[in-house]
Amino acid sequence: MTKIRTTHAGSLIRPAELTPYLEAIEEGLPYDEAAFEPKLAAAVAGVVKHQADTGLDVIDDGEYGKASWITYFYDRVSGMEKREVPLDANNTLPAGLDREAFAEYYEGHDDVQSSEVTKASDDLAHGEHAAGTESMGTGWQWVCTSPLTYDPAAVHRDIASFKRALADADVTEGFLPVVAPASAFWLANEYYDSDDDFVFALADALHTEYKLIVDAGLYLQVDDAVLWHQFGTMRLRGKSAADYRAWAEVRVAALNRALAGIPADRVRYHVCCGSWHGAHAFDPELREVIDLVLRVNAGYYLFEQATPRHEHEWVMWKDIKLADDKVLVPGVVTHHTPVVEHPELVAQRLVRMAEIVGPERVMGGTDCGFAQNSLTKRVPEWTQWAKLESLVEGARLASERV
Amino acid sequence: MTRIQTTHTGSLIRPPALRPFLAAAERGEPYDHAAFEAVLRTEVKEIVRQQAEAGIDYVNDGELGKISWITYLYERVSGIETRVTPFDGASMLQIAPPSLDRVKYGDEAVYSEVWRFADFWTEDYSVSGDGIQWVCTGAVNYDRSIADAQLAILREAVDAVDVVGAFVTAVSPASLYWVTNEHYPTEQEFIFAVADALHTEYRAIVDAGFLLQVDDAVMWHKLATIKMLGGGFDDYRAWAELRVEAINRALAGIPADRVRYHICSSSGHGPHTVDPGLNEILPFVLSVNAGAYLVEQANARHEHEWTVWQDIKLPDDKILVPGLITHHTPVVEHPELVAQRIRRIANVVGWDRVIGGADCGFAQAATTVRVPLWTQWAKFRALAEGAALASTSPTQA
Repeated sequence: MTKIRTTHAGSLIRPAELTPYLEAIEEGLPYDEAAFEPKLAAAVAGVVKHQADTGLDVIDDGEYGKASWITYFYDRVSGMEKREVPLDANNTLPAGLDREAFAEYYEGHDDVQSSEVTKASDDLAHGEHAAGTESMGTGWQWVCTSPLTYDPAAVHRDIASFKRALADADVTEGFLPVVAPASAFWLANEYYDSDDDFVFALADALHTEYKLIVDAGLYLQVDDAVLWHQFGTMRLRGKSAADYRAWAEVRVAALNRALAGIPADRVRYHVCCGSWHGAHAFDPELREVIDLVLRVNAGYYLFEQATPRHEHEWVMWKDIKLADDKVLVPGVVTHHTPVVEHPELVAQRLVRMAEIVGPERVMGGTDCGFAQNSLTKRVPEWTQWAKLESLVEGARLASERV
Repeated sequence: MTRIQTTHTGSLIRPPALRPFLAAAERGEPYDHAAFEAVLRTEVKEIVRQQAEAGIDYVNDGELGKISWITYLYERVSGIETRVTPFDGASMLQIAPPSLDRVKYGDEAVYSEVWRFADFWTEDYSVSGDGIQWVCTGAVNYDRSIADAQLAILREAVDAVDVVGAFVTAVSPASLYWVTNEHYPTEQEFIFAVADALHTEYRAIVDAGFLLQVDDAVMWHKLATIKMLGGGFDDYRAWAELRVEAINRALAGIPADRVRYHICSSSGHGPHTVDPGLNEILPFVLSVNAGAYLVEQANARHEHEWTVWQDIKLPDDKILVPGLITHHTPVVEHPELVAQRIRRIANVVGWDRVIGGADCGFAQAATTVRVPLWTQWAKFRALAEGAALASTSPTQA
């Protein structure tokens, strides 16, 4: 029997005691670091233990130290300037045909999102940071105005609290998520001569973070919600497949430069097609971008396969030549429905993949995170854990069958 | 080549123009029936056209004339008293059936983000804002006038489009909910009296040339409720056998091939982790004298159950209508996924025995919107496209 192992995509719902600090970090407001750090360490210890008790094999810190999976990075590099801009549909989520076809839906969606942002601001105003709360209806854009240099203080903190928590829970395999150069979003370049120069400068800054994580004995997970979806955005703007490929190839090259010298078997590459609760009816097919994905020097590939827009794509792997040392981590539970996957469904999804690529080359995963930023709850917290329990139980059932 | 046909479960998101009338009906207050029927005629015509355009083979009136799939009946029968009470909190949680899910995960578990987004759109759909209790205080007798008027409206709409057929939904005697019996001496007499009243409605539907769909959201989920309240399977069996008898009594004399029986394990956006397995209740379901059975099979809790049909044989003269699209996610099913789901179930029960359906309705009440309106129609198009794909490529590419 080959045990089919389990993991997930990274972000978990943040405990309420952390959100005021994370929001302050996101807003660029001062906060009490001395008060935050012990709370963060305790919360990380708790979420590590919860994952271990659930039976997950490869776990993380729930991204508890990060306000969001993308923008955490902007606080860790110098050379970025933060500017307040009016919030609108164009700077909250990437453009896509979905947003055109379901315009009224997204109007409601965006309103709910900005009311969440507003609510967070209100909470801040009535909490510790009454002064300096920005007006409603604005968001941040980051602009690169001088050379990018990476400050490792925050990642050292995250590594230390995570490793301590792993040791306490007696777990050996941990991963830490980081952003991919392609996913640098809400970001503009006013300093580097060209976009390509800028992307490679980002990659060099990210390299420091990537290396520190792997040197600490952890798996590195590179998160990329843009590489795949960008094809849809570019098509909407009248660009060709060739235009998209030119864009994507630079990002893949930049990512591989950020990964230089890091053994592929320590790297997980996670792609999704945008995690928001929309129709996703115009998502590009994974098949259209898979060659680009597999060009990334990673040992593990994590991708959505439990949402009804991408569930059918398991059959694609019959045609894809996968190198012998690569492991696939399909999503077998999804944040896109409040209904908890039946363990038997998880087992069916894993068995069919194992029959194509072999059980030793499949792990059970999630479509995406459950909390892409500190305020997001893609499903209720109870449901998140129930889904992870189902994942573990389904993988156990599948292991008996392959 | 067998062309796989499509249908759906029935309830569709109500157009705003109908709300004031439905609100009055719900509260048992008088309203202008002629004005209501005029609006309904226009809206039903449009919704039938939209279904045909989306590629649905068996269409209906979207249940536009009904306040909810259950309570519409109370306006049509004598003997049921409507008592309006303040609805504290205006929360679905107060009216959902007791379930271990809620014990285990807490009420907040149904407030997922998906649900909140749905809430956003339903804001304007609040019909009366009150809670209502129905109490049976006299003999239950059925008055056909509303049903006949609505059947005529649907006939007119269906005659204007090119579809394979049309169905009309009606509640199952097993799904009597929120009704307290203060009149009949025993539960059995009460249920049989309701079954006899429903028989008139069922007959009217079939006599008007439509397929009858009996909707039952209680038969399946009730096993979980009984277990939660400390009962065992034998208690469920006794409960269910009486209900099956009542349904078949209501169906007496109606040819099975004119009847569809729809079951779901309740349509609420919750975790559903304590839903009973289809295999546990299927024998009761299959003893209902219907020609087609509609079951959830597209949501994450029940998708795996296509394999149940490998062990429990679908009788030779029956049709299976599995849910291939679901209201439980805002993500629109890929047509290829719909096709995959058809292929695997058709290979078990036979290609001529499957019609593509939906897990449940998209608006169980005029106040409910399970997914955004645009998503509802996109899911219908995906269903029709997926069925066409499976029909032309019956084996996986």
